[in-house]
Amino acid sequence: MEPEAHHTQGPRRIGPDQRAELLLGALACAVLLFVALFVAFVVREAWPSFAANGLHWFSSGGSVDKQIQAIFTSGQQLAEPVYTFHAWPMIWGTLLVTGGAVLLSFISALFVAVFVVEFAPEWMRRILEPIIRLLASVPSVIFGLVGVLVLVPFIRAHVITESARSHVAYIVSLNGYSLLAGVLILSLMIAPLMIAVFADGLRSVPRGWLEGALGLGINRWRTFWKIGVRTARPALVAGTVLATARGLGEAVMLAMVSGGAGFAPNPADGWTFFVEPVRPFAVTILQTSEELTAPPMRHTIFAIASVLLLSAMFLSFAGWAAKQPMKKYGVRA
Amino acid sequence: MHVKHTRLAAAVATALVALFALPAGAGAAKVTVLGSGSSAIQPYLEVLFKGYKKVEPNVNFVYNANNGNAGVKDVQAGRSAFALQTRPPVPSDTGTTYTKLFLDGLCIAVNPANKLTNLPISTVKDIYTTNTTDWSGVPGSGLSTTISVFGRFPTAGLYTFFQSAVLGGASPGTNVTPLDKDGEVAVAVKGNANAIGYVGLANSRPGSGVKRLNLNGQPCQASAIKTLKYPLSRYAWFVLPTNNPSRIAQRFGDWIRASYDAGVIVDKAGAVPIYNATKKPKAKKKK
Repeated sequence: MEPEAHHTQGPRRIGPDQRAELLLGALACAVLLFVALFVAFVVREAWPSFAANGLHWFSSGGSVDKQIQAIFTSGQQLAEPVYTFHAWPMIWGTLLVTGGAVLLSFISALFVAVFVVEFAPEWMRRILEPIIRLLASVPSVIFGLVGVLVLVPFIRAHVITESARSHVAYIVSLNGYSLLAGVLILSLMIAPLMIAVFADGLRSVPRGWLEGALGLGINRWRTFWKIGVRTARPALVAGTVLATARGLGEAVMLAMVSGGAGFAPNPADGWTFFVEPVRPFAVTILQTSEELTAPPMRHTIFAIASVLLLSAMFLSFAGWAAKQPMKKYGVRA
Repeated sequence: MHVKHTRLAAAVATALVALFALPAGAGAAKVTVLGSGSSAIQPYLEVLFKGYKKVEPNVNFVYNANNGNAGVKDVQAGRSAFALQTRPPVPSDTGTTYTKLFLDGLCIAVNPANKLTNLPISTVKDIYTTNTTDWSGVPGSGLSTTISVFGRFPTAGLYTFFQSAVLGGASPGTNVTPLDKDGEVAVAVKGNANAIGYVGLANSRPGSGVKRLNLNGQPCQASAIKTLKYPLSRYAWFVLPTNNPSRIAQRFGDWIRASYDAGVIVDKAGAVPIYNATKKPKAKKKK
């Protein structure tokens, strides 16, 4: 330290600004600590289930619903705890529902966002934007109700044929509660979220870049596709990550429309595949949480929760990693 | 004495009301009592809550139909003052006391489009264990389509009861679509011509849009349930914590179980009262 500084400033004191800074810093650290403790708690509660099953936890084998029943009955009867659990049907169900919905809504959201930002007339934009924002905030249980009362009966009556039903009758009932219903409604729920983020990204593309291209005589569509959308790629990634996370965690709506049975839809069944029932992870937690007090069931539920939690963390990391190479010529998102 | 019959009865009734109402009404204004449990029993409870208003007007009940097994856990954890359950106690129900309230029936319901009126219980088992998957395999149904089988999640008391009473302890097949509540099964069967499901008496009553089947020739009705001839007759259980139960909940349970008024309400709602006084209370009342 220089003696002159001492002279002019006097003894070092913490001003109100610095105090606020320190406080905010401490808060941020507390959040980090909280997240760490949270993850540690979930994983610790989950450990007995993973320890008993090893990597077979992620494999398929037997009926997962019978396994769940054996797990919580062992707790109910105060017997030797049972842990055998093969989660593959639910992992597959989560992948199918979330993946299907994200794919479907990504394509539609991209086109809608491009239209809203670049091609829609001003009056239409003024109507569309609030509606999209409203759709993004509708509670999922309302989507579930509409699904159960409209989409599920429609699928049963108009999509599923009697021959398809009898073909798989020994394994599963086809009655409208299906992968298709889950994917369609989930896309409807997450697409507005994507549109909002995509549109923000597209709007922040520097006008000069687009005008430059137009000035060279390139048509509007091509300009926007090649320059606008390309530049906005980080926003596309951010919106997709956000929407995927919401899809992963969606429980209530899917519990209502996707069928409830712990069944892994089989692509070998052809078109029937789409109308077979699924039960993703989040729905399983919702429906078995009544048995949380049976210790083996609690550990199993937490094991499911930890897989969901780690996938969500991995997802945001992958999103961050994917954005890195795009940053050079992209907008920030 | 018989001359002043009605006046005497009225006086006794007033005295009883006063007796019941005093402890709760003395100091406090409104008391809210929380209960939870079976969704199949909920329709009866709703009318019983209304009827109990006459006995203790200050008591307000809130019932969460989160299914029987969860209700018992609420009682164990002290979250609920009482629970309603549709299966007998199991070893993990420690710290709770079960009391039989009245008899209820578990009905096997099909869509009205189905021509069946009777099923042997073994056929029901075949349907729920995937041995029979097509209505053409069930004589008399008039249908030749694939059966849509509906059931409940393993966390429901009705599931446990059905599994032991019909399936002999076996697990239902993977083709049984599990639904979350008793009423949801009724709605699913109502809207699907190929459906079959098991539903409590209250949610399958005439006008509910589903058709009850006779089992082994016995109708799913009060008459056959009372004599225990109907194979799926079962008790509705009132579950209280063994230590320090809420006195209001206790009184409410006793009232459902024993009073004449509650008997009438239970009977009207479609279940079968068994312990209730059969005559209007006169001089004294069993309590």
